Amino acid sequence: MDSRHRYIGLLGIAVGRLVGRFRRGEGKQLAVSVLGVAIAIMLMVTVGGVALGLASQSAIQGDNVDYWIVPEDRTASSIAVSVDGPQLGGTHDITAELNTNPQIDYATPVLLRVVQLRAPASDTSEYIIVAGVVPDGGDREVLGVSTGALTPGDPFYANGTYDGRWTGEIVASEPAAELLSAEVGDSLTMPRQDSNRSLHVENISTGSYNTGAGPLPIVVLHQSELQAITGATDGDPADQILVSTKSSDVRPELESLYPQSTVVSKGGFAEQSVSTSSLPVAVALTAVLTAVVVGTLFVATMMGLELHADRQRLAVLSAIGYRMRSQAFLVVAETFILTGIGTFVGVGLGLTGIAATNALATRYLGVQSVAIFDPVLVLTAGAVAVVIAAAASIYPVWLTRRTDVLEVLG
Amino acid sequence: MAQAAQPPSDQPPVVTCRDVTRQYIRGSKSKFANQPRPTVTALDSVSVDICPGEFVGIAGPSGSGKSTLLHLLAGLDTPTDGDVTLAGTSTIGLSEQRRARLRLEHVGIVFQHFYLLPSISARANVALPLVEYGIGRSTRREKATALLDQVGLEDRTTHKPGELSGGEQQRVAIARALVTDPEVLIADEPTGELDTETGEQIINALSASSSDRAVVVASHDERVLERTDRVIRLHDGRLVSDG
Repeated sequence: MDSRHRYIGLLGIAVGRLVGRFRRGEGKQLAVSVLGVAIAIMLMVTVGGVALGLASQSAIQGDNVDYWIVPEDRTASSIAVSVDGPQLGGTHDITAELNTNPQIDYATPVLLRVVQLRAPASDTSEYIIVAGVVPDGGDREVLGVSTGALTPGDPFYANGTYDGRWTGEIVASEPAAELLSAEVGDSLTMPRQDSNRSLHVENISTGSYNTGAGPLPIVVLHQSELQAITGATDGDPADQILVSTKSSDVRPELESLYPQSTVVSKGGFAEQSVSTSSLPVAVALTAVLTAVVVGTLFVATMMGLELHADRQRLAVLSAIGYRMRSQAFLVVAETFILTGIGTFVGVGLGLTGIAATNALATRYLGVQSVAIFDPVLVLTAGAVAVVIAAAASIYPVWLTRRTDVLEVLG
Repeated sequence: MAQAAQPPSDQPPVVTCRDVTRQYIRGSKSKFANQPRPTVTALDSVSVDICPGEFVGIAGPSGSGKSTLLHLLAGLDTPTDGDVTLAGTSTIGLSEQRRARLRLEHVGIVFQHFYLLPSISARANVALPLVEYGIGRSTRREKATALLDQVGLEDRTTHKPGELSGGEQQRVAIARALVTDPEVLIADEPTGELDTETGEQIINALSASSSDRAVVVASHDERVLERTDRVIRLHDGRLVSDG
């Protein structure tokens, strides 16, 4: 007697029975088990893809930025998605002062607002993230968008009088230009702002700013013009100040600028990025737990019903001398096979779900990739499938032990 | 108490029942713990010995205890009182695990309703006990094919049970019961679902297999009982005659 032959043979019986049930059209409960696992795994893969998308987000930054000055209860990375809350004041004067420091290459305030822009040429209106900055004429990038095409300085600010020359210049990121169907030279209006001023597209930047929601539609313009458009001229507010420097000696000066602010360095920013990853981790964990619970309940219930309908088979096997261990192995093998099929289907559906999510995000939100696929999702799905099958096997094995041969065959 | 009939052969009995009583508790557990639950005596102090080479019939009206006795002889059940010895091993106090092993190694069972697994072929059905034995695939196929050949189904090896007639299914069930070469073959109303001609074929097959093992058949059918060497008659759970 050989245990290996026994278990291979039992596996063959399990496969033969499942195939036979499906072929004879008697596999309704089995199909529901597969479907249940497939749905659970699909949701897990899709939501996991979104979580990975969130985890891959980068925060507001410029290539040459070494320090971020942000209000105390904010993080540098939260600003891109939250435009209300504590702000920094007197930012033109502060940055002008910083720019006189020979140790500082460049400093600019950044004001972020979501503004509805309309492109009359294409008759398209969309909400766009608008960043107000004070460019220095160099090829700087803020939020991935080059500021090189903007007139250096901030002419409209005019020492806080807001009656200087209105440039109306904007640089749009590619996603913003696509969303508005705008090209270089096109004029843009602001239908929801009480303003008759207009903007025009000076340049379309090929750079992009990615968050978990993918490349965002962003335009960059002069800070004072954004302040004027949004009625935020009181106190000369900004959400943060970006500072590019090669010297760490400036940090004490930066920290002394605002009493209730935080100065974040590049290294510290990396740490903050890690801390902000708790959301995607929570999302991913929730997806995994939901998949395990839903999958287990589906499979356990359906296998229980299946066994009840097919208990004659177990009774026959018991009558001809199959030990309980062998019967349990059969049931567990069938559960694992069904869960495996469901997982395979679920991963396929999950990939479709990721593609569909991104397509919907592009269509309705104007972002290109909310969710991303990573092979780790397949590995996770496999691990979740093993947990589902193992947990779901408990109930049918218990039912198997309760099968009374004489009651069934007697 | 009925006396056990003398075995007709010189060999020691392969199955022995001594003063076997089997009672079943009727109904669900009472709400009142002290209230005794009614019992039904299905078998009352029955003693029989069955030897190798015997073709034994068990007869009696419905409810006489035929099936109960068969289940005890097969090791599917254990008596409330008395002792059943199967291939030298008492089934009293044996775990279900041990009794399953005993059945696998020493007993072949044929049911009235065949009870073949519908999803797998006739050959795979015959080979089922060999899987539990841990025998390799090629040997299983070889043995199962030989048994199907023996019962005249050499051209039906790959057919599923649903593609076979009732008589053919019962012959597959007999082949399955014989594939481990058991010392005892037990059949419960094996012709109950078959027409006369097919029933005759089944009895011939069972009779042929009794040359080197004990065959015990429970049946209402006198034509079946006429073919046996000995008939054990039961009535109301008691042994009426044995001979």
